[in-house]
This record gives sequence, structure tokens and C-alpha cells, in this order.
Amino acid sequence: MFDFLKQYYPVFLEGTAQTILISIIGIFIGILLGLVFVMFRLSKHKALSYIARVYIAIVRGTPAMIQVMLIYYTLSNILAVPQIQFLGSGLDRVIPGSIALGINSGAYTAEIFRSGIISIPKGQTEAGISLGLSEKTTMFSIILPQAVRNILPALGNEFISLVKESSVLFYIGVQEVTAQALGVGGTLYNFVPPLIVAAAIYFVLTFVLSQLMQLMEKKMGRKYAQSN
Amino acid sequence: MTEENIIEVKNLKKAYADNVVLEDISFTVKKSEKVVLIGPSGGGKSTLLRCLNRLEGDYSGKVVFEGEELNSASKDKLRILRQRMGMVFQQFNLFPNKTVLENITFAPVKLKVDTPQKAIEHAHSLLEQVGLSEKADAYPQSLSGGQQQRVAIARALAMNPEVMLFDEPTSALDPEVVGEVLGVMEKLAADGMTMIIVTHEMSFAQNVADKVLFMDKGRIADSGNPKYIFEETKNTRTQSFLSKVM
Repeated sequence: MFDFLKQYYPVFLEGTAQTILISIIGIFIGILLGLVFVMFRLSKHKALSYIARVYIAIVRGTPAMIQVMLIYYTLSNILAVPQIQFLGSGLDRVIPGSIALGINSGAYTAEIFRSGIISIPKGQTEAGISLGLSEKTTMFSIILPQAVRNILPALGNEFISLVKESSVLFYIGVQEVTAQALGVGGTLYNFVPPLIVAAAIYFVLTFVLSQLMQLMEKKMGRKYAQSN
Repeated sequence: MTEENIIEVKNLKKAYADNVVLEDISFTVKKSEKVVLIGPSGGGKSTLLRCLNRLEGDYSGKVVFEGEELNSASKDKLRILRQRMGMVFQQFNLFPNKTVLENITFAPVKLKVDTPQKAIEHAHSLLEQVGLSEKADAYPQSLSGGQQQRVAIARALAMNPEVMLFDEPTSALDPEVVGEVLGVMEKLAADGMTMIIVTHEMSFAQNVADKVLFMDKGRIADSGNPKYIFEETKNTRTQSFLSKVM
């Protein structure tokens, strides 16, 4: 059933590498946007908070596929990315595609960060402020590290979703794993086996990712449990 | 303002919408003076204390600390003023992801009050002062409430403050460890620290205070030295409060 792999495994490897690449870029941009927009969202300035609410509402309320297409078609008009091929796809598709993934993920990540930040008692902020630390230092050195520890499981979920949903970039012609599997399926006139291979690849990727997140959780949690 | 007044509060008033929580508050604190705020819950003691380093803002009237008016101070100025006022909270508020030592050294190092090396030395001497030398590398969660509060005192002292504000420092503690925290505070008082303390520990107030402010319904209803408040006052509200708590 999987004999085709002998011939087509390089295609799947290339697709896997592409999926990993766009996922990493997407996660990275998502974290950055999440941080920026959670600060907006919690800001005392009404306008900033409003901007963050609108961003989160729009991203959460519309399909990722449409977001990706809109961003791709808009960006390709204003962003002049050279038509370099990388891992089987043009960078003019990979870059807008990963940015779109990041923009999508940023909204969810911002809300995850917010849940973490509001879970930290107000006394922690007051302790920082009363020592003479600035609000910024208090937020970034005292509140956020504690918040991040609390939200690691939720962040892990978000990263895993992103890896799987990166398959929507297929619609704008990024040759990630799903696209490659469909391509191979078309050649074989049989879609089931290549799609099973693609599913297995996603499973392995997300499994490794979830193990990494668990490792991080353990590492960050150890301090709190330690007793002297 | 006279030279020796470290803190001057004048006509302080604070309200949440229509609910007036502080009204017509005026008093001064001299260097090395110990001022104790007592009174029934909801009387405004903690709110007043929190106005002194502007953890609570939006008040009218004046709070002057070392000649600087807090309400009109810029953000940067306010931070510098806060560095000179240590605060100890009812719930300790230690940073749970930092060791005892890191809790104490974090602010002085971050704010460049001390070099890391000096901050660590200072922290160790403060830990010795509060009797917790052996806990430097422990995390707060592994400590008892009394130990945590003593670390919190050491953390506030690490900034070399001019004034220490205590917001019901023993109210969240088990009775058997209240004494160890009060002991540390008494030592601090004996060393000449200027202290403003909100507490329900009446015998502590009697022993340590130079001035007692009895607060009720957002006002200073009665004030004087401990002898006056605890023995001589004719104020019926003070008398009835004290008869209930002593």
C-alpha cells in the first residue's frame, strides 16, 4: 500500500520541512503579536484596548482559510518578494502565508496571555510597584514569567493547532505536507495512502511538540514545588 | 513644613463615586517616629496607608514625602519616592518564582541601587537580621507564613527605605507565628526606623507606637500617644472599639 514512498519520500520530506518552517515562523509571529496585543488589550488607553479587541474579534470570527487568502492576495500586491523557490514553493507564497498564520495565531495567543496575566494576584504588581519598579519592569520581570508558566498548557494547544492548520496554506500554493500528499495522490489516482502518510507526519510533529511543551512545564514548575 | 517631618498628610480625601472612604485626614510623621493606625475594619486604615505611596491614587488633598508632593509627582519621580518607602503587605506578596535571596536582591539590582555582589551581601545580612539565614535558597512556597512575612520585610529593607509601611502584617498569620514577625518589627523600631503600621495587635501598638491614630468611618476619630489612647481618652468610639478588641 505504501510502496509509492520509495519513489516519493523526498516529496514528503520536502513538504514536512516546509510545514515545520511555516509553523515555526507562524508560532514566532503569533507570540510576538500575542504579546503586543495583550499589552494593548490591557492598556489604560482606551484606543489601544479597542484596537486589540477588534483584531481579536475579527481573527476569531472569520475562517483561517479566508484570512490566509486575503492576506496573501493583499500582501503579494504591496510586498515585492523575489520569486525564489524554497523547499518546493515560491517565497512569495511562503512568506505571506506564514505571516497570515502568525496573524491568525496572534489573536488566540493574546487571549491566552491575557488569561495568564489576570490569573496572577494583584498583590504581585503592587509588590513590584511599591519597591519602586516601573510598571513595565513589573509586568515583564515579575508578572509575565509567572503568567507564562500558568499558560504553558494552553500555549501548547495553540501551537499544536497552528501546526495542523498550517495546511490551509495549501490554498495559496505553498507546498507543505498536505499539498504534497494531494499532489502524490493525484499522480497515483489514489488519495488515501498519501493522506495517511501526511496525517502520520502531522501526528509525529505535534507529538514531539507536545513532549517539548511538557518538558518546559516540568522545568518551569520545578522551582515552585521544591522545598527546603 | 518643618525639617524633621518626613511625611505630611493634609486634608486628604478619597471617594469611590459617592462612597467617601477617607475624609479630612491630616497628620505628620517625624523621622524615627512610629505611627500606628488602629480602628474597625472598613474604617479606611489600609486605604490611607496605600495613599501614602500612591498605590491608591485619585485623592484630593496633599501627601508630602520628604518635601515632594506625591499627587503632582511625575511617574519617574514617583518611582524614586517609592524606592524610599518600603511596604509590607498582609498577604506577603513574595515573588513565588524567585528564591528568597532573589526576592530580596531583585529590586536593588534592577534599579541599580546596589551591584549584584553588594545586593547579595546586603540580602544575607538582612536575612540574618530577620533570623532566616538558612533559607536564602528556598522558594517562598516552602516557607511558613511567618517566615514569608519576615522575608517580605527583608525585601522591603533591601532598598534602604526612609520609611516602612506595614499593612496588617500579621493578620494573615497563624497565631503561633505572629510573635516572630512582631519581634522583627520591634527590633526595627528600636533601630530607629520610621514606621507607619496598620494593625489589630493592640499590645504591640501600645509598646511600639509614638502616636496612635484611631480611624473610624474614614476619619481620624481620635489620636494621641499610646497612654492617652489606651487609658485616658474620653472618646466613646475609641473606648467602645478598644473594649471589643482588648
